[in-house]
Amino acid sequence: MAEKVIRACHLYGNLLNTYGDNGNMLMMAHVAKQQGVAFESKIVSIYEEFNPDEFDFIFFGGGQDYEQTIVSKDLQTKKEALTQYIEDEGVILAICGGYQMLGHYYIGANGDKIPGISALDHYTESQEDNRFIGDVEIHNEAFNETYVGFENHNGVTYLGEGEKPLGTVTTGYGNNGKDNGEGAIYKNTFCSYLHGPILARNPHLAKRLVDIILDKKYAK
Amino acid sequence: MTLRSQLAKTVGKSSQWFLTNFTKGGSSLPGKLALKIDPHILDTLAKDYEVIVVTGTNGKTLTTALTVNVLKQEFDHVLTNPTGANMAQGIVSTFLSAKGNKNSKKFAVLEIDEASLSKVTEYIKPKLFLFTNIFRDQMDRYGEIYTTYKLIVDGAAKAPEATILANGDLPIFNSVETVNPREYYGFNHQEDSEMMAHYNTDGVLCPNCQHILHYKMITYSNLGKYYCANCDFKRPELDYQLTALGDMTNTSAAFTIDGEDYNIEVGGLYNVYNALSAAAIGEHYGVSADKIRKGLAYDEKVFGRQEVIEVDGKRCTLVLVKNPVGLNQVIDMIDLAPRPFSLVSLLNANYADGIDISWIWDGNHEAFADMAIPKVITGGDRRKDMSLRLTVAGIEDSIMTEAASFQEVIEEIKSAPTDDVFILATYTAVLQLRKELANQGYIKGGM
Repeated sequence: MAEKVIRACHLYGNLLNTYGDNGNMLMMAHVAKQQGVAFESKIVSIYEEFNPDEFDFIFFGGGQDYEQTIVSKDLQTKKEALTQYIEDEGVILAICGGYQMLGHYYIGANGDKIPGISALDHYTESQEDNRFIGDVEIHNEAFNETYVGFENHNGVTYLGEGEKPLGTVTTGYGNNGKDNGEGAIYKNTFCSYLHGPILARNPHLAKRLVDIILDKKYAK
Repeated sequence: MTLRSQLAKTVGKSSQWFLTNFTKGGSSLPGKLALKIDPHILDTLAKDYEVIVVTGTNGKTLTTALTVNVLKQEFDHVLTNPTGANMAQGIVSTFLSAKGNKNSKKFAVLEIDEASLSKVTEYIKPKLFLFTNIFRDQMDRYGEIYTTYKLIVDGAAKAPEATILANGDLPIFNSVETVNPREYYGFNHQEDSEMMAHYNTDGVLCPNCQHILHYKMITYSNLGKYYCANCDFKRPELDYQLTALGDMTNTSAAFTIDGEDYNIEVGGLYNVYNALSAAAIGEHYGVSADKIRKGLAYDEKVFGRQEVIEVDGKRCTLVLVKNPVGLNQVIDMIDLAPRPFSLVSLLNANYADGIDISWIWDGNHEAFADMAIPKVITGGDRRKDMSLRLTVAGIEDSIMTEAASFQEVIEEIKSAPTDDVFILATYTAVLQLRKELANQGYIKGGM
């Protein structure tokens, strides 16, 4: 039997790489390798075409405000392809800025409303002179799994139609500090503010993502 | 001098004399007292000094030390602030401690934290600002690189006549107009070839047209001979150039700057940048090449920076690490070690270390997997995170040991299969390890 392979897209991997985001890619490769699965990764960046058929997994991280502003403009050119990938139940892990930009909009450092691609039905407001910083622990009922991480975000995100939180907050602030939810799940798109990075702190989540990818690709 | 500032100076100096003679001294209290009496005391104290300020993310301490040493070869009176005393009161204390002197040219070389620069230039008008670099560093406390850069540009603007002497290889230092005149130092030691920065590198966007920068030469991170393929943004002309890089070991480097050969007794390309900037300052003030050479041959190790400690015959080199760019430079430096070595990696997440440890995932720990290291010891509060990082990097579990305490770290070092040991540690882990080493008598004179 031919070797199984996960073809991963590190979306804007050369611009969105703050807070150890790259560790998520390293963990995906590590967990895949443990299961005897090859892991190939490719960066698709600004001014480059994104072809959803090329990939089994997308990682979409967060960056500094300046880089994110540039990315959010470019992202509009990939809106249709990304939305199609998401609706077709393609697997995505989106952290911080990536999470925010999959929704309707977020508020930038200078107060500007920066558009996302509305692929998911959430939106992100900002807090005045405050950031949610510190350790987080959340629990996902459906998987009966606990995830830990570190959060550092000014944005407060409110989920919309079809979205469930990634988990219920037991420690920390989560999406908005109000509704006890952290992150989002829509089809096979997983979103979170947790870094640390999330997959390094939670290898069981990496395993879950790898399983979903392999099921989707090979269990036919 | 006004009566008020005379009084402030007298009170400050008297309290300093008292503290030095009757207590352990070294306090910022004299500065605090003097500032209380006269908030503008620095105007008076710094009046006769040619003040040089060193700021930036990495390399401030060694650059300051090297600059002092270079200037001392030519000028009699060169003052500097001890590490850590870079807030206003510490700087007042520094000037108060100056010995009275004649009419010769007096220098003060001050290491100033990026965020404190504006407060200091409120009072002192430096003649020269040395910008080392701006990298991502402890983001739970500082902001993003653009915010940090704005802080130091605004700080320098309060002394608009002063020249900014900046690292020309770093794109951000050429990204905005400044009121201050600028000079640049950088590397010009290789034939041009076409390359891009590693993808996990910050600050690679062209500030004019937001395309990803290309390079004709990269030294490390996003430093090098950058240019934009889409517009005319490119590295500025260099006023001070490193034109050849000679022998590099993990404890020394040889290089040529503006036609003169120099050596430093500390390893790592990042330290060559520090030496380059100190030499540039020397040239700026007309110090002869011979004297710069003497000044750079400085071999007193600065706290936690490649300090060597003997532990029962093991030669342990202790290196402070705190951000990905610094870590990667240290890894490259270790790779030059001539003898086999064991590796110790100590990770804490206290406030002084940065409470967010995600940066370890941005460092190139993968490089260790290619170095045939026979033993790896992890320690500190976040040793499990470090062990996982190293496992994912490709280090075999069979050679890794997690030490639950600093005593255990030292025991493991003693049983290491090599005579050489490199210890990488975050700030509070350096303190804790040194304390334990002092307790066990491996460091003389306690801490």
